[in-house]
Amino acid sequence: MRNNNTPTREQQGPQRRLRSLTRLALALGSGLAVAVAVAVASQEPPPAPPTAQTVDVLAERFSFSPSEIKTTVGTTLQIRLESDDTSHGFRIIGTDVNIEIPKRGRGTTTVTFNAEKAGRYTFECSQLCGAGHSFMRGVIIVSDARPAGAR
Amino acid sequence: MDFQYRKPEFQDGVLDFRRFVLLVTHQFSDRIRFVSELELEHAFVEGQVDAGELELEQAYLDFLLSRAFNVRAGILLIPVGILNERHEPPVYYGVERSMVDTFLIPTTWFEVGAGIHGEVGRGLRYRVYAVSPLNAALFTVEEGLREGRQKGSETNAGRVAATGRLEYLGIRGLTTGVSFWTGKSGFEFRPTFDVPVHLIEADARYTRRGLELRAQFVEIKVSNAAQLNDALTQRVGVDPNIGERMRGALLEASHRFFSSRRLGEVGAFVRYDKANTQAAMPPGALPLGQFDRDAIVVGATYWPEPDIAVKVDYVFGRNRSTVVQAPNSFNIGLGWWF
Repeated sequence: MRNNNTPTREQQGPQRRLRSLTRLALALGSGLAVAVAVAVASQEPPPAPPTAQTVDVLAERFSFSPSEIKTTVGTTLQIRLESDDTSHGFRIIGTDVNIEIPKRGRGTTTVTFNAEKAGRYTFECSQLCGAGHSFMRGVIIVSDARPAGAR
Repeated sequence: MDFQYRKPEFQDGVLDFRRFVLLVTHQFSDRIRFVSELELEHAFVEGQVDAGELELEQAYLDFLLSRAFNVRAGILLIPVGILNERHEPPVYYGVERSMVDTFLIPTTWFEVGAGIHGEVGRGLRYRVYAVSPLNAALFTVEEGLREGRQKGSETNAGRVAATGRLEYLGIRGLTTGVSFWTGKSGFEFRPTFDVPVHLIEADARYTRRGLELRAQFVEIKVSNAAQLNDALTQRVGVDPNIGERMRGALLEASHRFFSSRRLGEVGAFVRYDKANTQAAMPPGALPLGQFDRDAIVVGATYWPEPDIAVKVDYVFGRNRSTVVQAPNSFNIGLGWWF
């Protein structure tokens, strides 16, 4: 005996297609979601814009203060130089930075150093300022890690 | 360069071109440098006459190997105190150097030797040198160690002295340091006895917005001072009264109260300066009050340019003697550095 509620063969066709389409849509949606999740998870963070760091350096016979400057790769370092006595020079060895620091009371001069590569960059007075001239040296330490307190 | 007019109390004034300095340097490469300083004192030198002096105060090669480790050899400035390595007139107040920097630290103090120097961290500097010793036979009670400097001239190096300084410059405006000098200085009396001399020194200098504060303390121990006095008495017939300990200190406050880009700067200072070359005597010897000296110095400096200083000061000299009076003096100086 046939149940009259049982769908006929003609009635079962569209329902089956609907279920198939639903399964397909779910599968595609899941796949897409997984793909998006994987893509998002594996995506590199967008490159950070270059940061800026300003350091005030006082030059006097025969020292720079501070004589050690720490920064990180990608930082644009602005070094504001001022003299407490005569005019001095400021040269970063291995770069084209070489500038005169004006005498005391004649203002400051600023040099820009783009820290593109990790390493230690020695700076020194490039203008003979007395017998202790050789003591006037310092270092810029460029590291991959961000130093505490860097602006 | 240092040109002075000095007027001690009860005496005629003296005009003196005190120091004329020539600096000759050469850079062989980024890592090897030569530095020299030739100084003519009192403008005139004549053999066998106590007039001026021509001194080679520095002449060394510097091998700059790294920030932390460098080698230096030649005639070196002894790295003791604030003034000895940085002794040109525009960098200190007063026409004359302090008594601490004259009798206890005999500036300008230089000897032949070699050593290492460098800097680590954020401004921790060191210098350690092996140098020729002092000559204890020339110590005097009036001028302490001063006449004992061998000055790099055919020096006796039977025993090598050691000297060094550790200083911290990591805080902007502040320089603090400790120094030492130690060496056996009795080469004229060996093998009968020797005269080990030990000096320790501590100093601080703080500068901010024209205000400058300086403090310095020095203590010297002259071992076997009794034997030294006996030996010198036999040699010259007069007891030189060399103390077993010498001690001194100075405190100075100054302020650049006027500053103009066009006219220059003016500063005033006050200094308390004490030097006692007989702080402790050998057993049986008594100190003499005139060698326990101190002074209050007040004055001003005008810098028309940062490297030119016009100085004026008045020295209120004192001592502990009831017989010998310490004279006051009025001084004018003109110094420059280039």
